[in-house]
Amino acid sequence: MSVPLSQMWTVATYVIRQKLAGRKRYPLVLMLEPLFRCNLACAGCGKIQYPAQILRKNLSVEKCLQAVDECGAPMVSIPGGEPLMYPEIDRLVAELVKRKKYVYLCTNAILLKEKLHLFTPSRYLTFSVHMDGLREEHDEAVCRDGVYDQALPAIQEALARGFRVTTNTTLFDGASPLRVREFFDEMMRVGVEGMMVSPGYSYSKAPDQEHFLRRSRTNQLFSDILSNPKRGWRFNQSPLFLRFLMGKHDYECTPWGNPTYNMFGWQRPCYLLQDGYAETFKELMETTPWENYGRKSGNEKCQDCMVHCGFEATAVDHTFSSLRGFIETAAVTFTGKL
Amino acid sequence: MTLQGWVPDIGPYLTLAEVIEHAFDYRGNVTVVRKDGSELVGYLSNRDGSAPEPFVQVIDEEGNDPVRIPYADIVNVLFTGKDPAEGNSWKAWLERKEREKAQHAPSA
Repeated sequence: MSVPLSQMWTVATYVIRQKLAGRKRYPLVLMLEPLFRCNLACAGCGKIQYPAQILRKNLSVEKCLQAVDECGAPMVSIPGGEPLMYPEIDRLVAELVKRKKYVYLCTNAILLKEKLHLFTPSRYLTFSVHMDGLREEHDEAVCRDGVYDQALPAIQEALARGFRVTTNTTLFDGASPLRVREFFDEMMRVGVEGMMVSPGYSYSKAPDQEHFLRRSRTNQLFSDILSNPKRGWRFNQSPLFLRFLMGKHDYECTPWGNPTYNMFGWQRPCYLLQDGYAETFKELMETTPWENYGRKSGNEKCQDCMVHCGFEATAVDHTFSSLRGFIETAAVTFTGKL
Repeated sequence: MTLQGWVPDIGPYLTLAEVIEHAFDYRGNVTVVRKDGSELVGYLSNRDGSAPEPFVQVIDEEGNDPVRIPYADIVNVLFTGKDPAEGNSWKAWLERKEREKAQHAPSA
């Protein structure tokens, strides 16, 4: 696993503080969407299908920071849309770093090379580059040829300038375990700090509804990919979450773990479902009928979901909820055996 | 399947609340028709049917801050805007790519 010690320490102490305070529900990663515009239109993405006036809009930096302060999570992920198209992305990131938040700027890297000069390398800032596989698979997933060949040199440039760079990969039905393993090899060869993987979620608004993974197929696919992991592979996520994807744990979703804020407000209940919006974080936490979500609830939208924004927080909580969870996490971290 | 162009027939078999749910789920602009005859075209970004005074929030075509309209003031919601998710499928992209490959293939 590749999460730096300082970040691990920050997350660990934060989670333990929440537990000591008796908080049953606490946020781990704020998903901050300052805009919905994107320079790609990936078929598996349900985030950008909006009318023009919505795609033109940006959250102000001040509103973003207010959300960050309200939420209090130690990590902030900036997806979108494409955050490098946000006019004040440099100021937003600088403010978050000043607040000692671990920032994951999720980008397709098309604009990364030309915008790198706006940022300063920091242990708090990571470019999380969307890479859905090797050239053929990635370009197919993003519905545009040539994107892989734009992203790769941008990653290398960012690494050369001293930035933290990780990849985030969404896998859909039909993914070849062998090709995914080759892709992991390639990303390690390039030198990224770590990789994040997750199965896709069937957004009702995504144009491609046919290729999302169902739960048993997800377990099979991730077992095939990860059951014999190479020593050199590094993952920037909870090892217990990876074991969950392989079917070794049966977790329940933690929808409040990655709360989402965008121009519509605080999204109920999670990053993927849009059942309404609350005006404040407190309102989100206190008035969302959480019992209506997750697999046990019977909500059909949740039955096949195994996405990291719902289950990574569960895995992290498991690590700190029991000695067994802690030992398992430590063992996987040190041995690399999933 | 898109709701684009739908003019709901609100009556005994279809309530305004149901139409508002569909409109909240719709990613294009809609036209909210008020009881006073006025109309607002925009994106229905939020709704709360369980609030003491149920309301919708609409971001107009200029992208101004959301306007809050009580359910009680609404007669109907028309699905007048283009559905941005329609006709842009992964399958269509693959078919286009196959056609391009075939065009560039050397002839036998």
